Amino acid sequence: MTKKVPTRKRARAQGASSHEHNTGRCLHILRRLSAYIDDELTSDVCEEIRHHLGACPNCEVFVESLRHTVTLCRHRPAPTLSPADRQVLRENILRAAGAQGRL
Amino acid sequence: MSTRPSKNPRDQANRTTGNERSQFDRIYRDHVDLIYRYANRLCGDVDSAKDLVQETFLNAYRGFKDFRGDAQISTWLYTIASRACLRMRRKKKGEPERELSLEEFIPTSEGEFRLQISVDGLTPEEAFQNKELRQALDQAIEKLPKKYRMVLVLRDMEGLSTKEVGTVMGLNERAVKSRLHRARLFVRRELSARGITEGQSEEPRPTTQTSGGSYR
Repeated sequence: MTKKVPTRKRARAQGASSHEHNTGRCLHILRRLSAYIDDELTSDVCEEIRHHLGACPNCEVFVESLRHTVTLCRHRPAPTLSPADRQVLRENILRAAGAQGRL
Repeated sequence: MSTRPSKNPRDQANRTTGNERSQFDRIYRDHVDLIYRYANRLCGDVDSAKDLVQETFLNAYRGFKDFRGDAQISTWLYTIASRACLRMRRKKKGEPERELSLEEFIPTSEGEFRLQISVDGLTPEEAFQNKELRQALDQAIEKLPKKYRMVLVLRDMEGLSTKEVGTVMGLNERAVKSRLHRARLFVRRELSARGITEGQSEEPRPTTQTSGGSYR
């Protein structure tokens, strides 16, 4: 936990495994990370989180990994339909609509 | 040749049909790529995505008279597609909806804090050159329970606002944010050592550190 890692440098040297990331402050931060990434929090709360991240290397790594995850989702290319597929789907839809008495 | 509207019911029916067809064609032309992209992200495979596109536009065709124009057409179509997707998936599997709790996303070992495949210093385009990363991301999204997947796809991939996602899914903004947060944490965990290592258990894969960069 945060109290066990007096400085970021020392914490990194010690490795992350000494950090128990399941209670208290870290969990409180975890609950708000999407809102933090989306810039939906007040400046006071942001400052509080930044302060914690500065003192807690595991949370800092965690929030970066979440930020990367969101960035990857936002930029994941999606396949597109070919013009031929577009035409086939349109014909299928109109045929189905006609079969149901719409045309 | 008369310029007056015909009173013949068959002529009127034909004209109505013609109007409907031209309205449909306009909506289809302007939105089919959008709905296919959404369908593909939701379904994860091409054939199911095409089925969902057909179902969506068929339902839109049937319901166009009821569309009041108080929402954007794209939002209306997203709503129809989402409902159709839920129906289609229920028919296929009857899979139970799993709730995600925040507690399950608390890392318990060192490898779970960071992404297994490093993307540090890379643009998203550069990161996606790594096939393993693309596959891991797609699989992570596919593993999400569908009500969480829909929120993630609509908000983070389709770029809708929280309010628009709420309109599509019939949720208030607080519920949208809650589901989005859990969905992101789920995908993040799947991309961490824990998720990828579990995925490897059935089929050994080469180490990922050489293909996507190195840890800091």
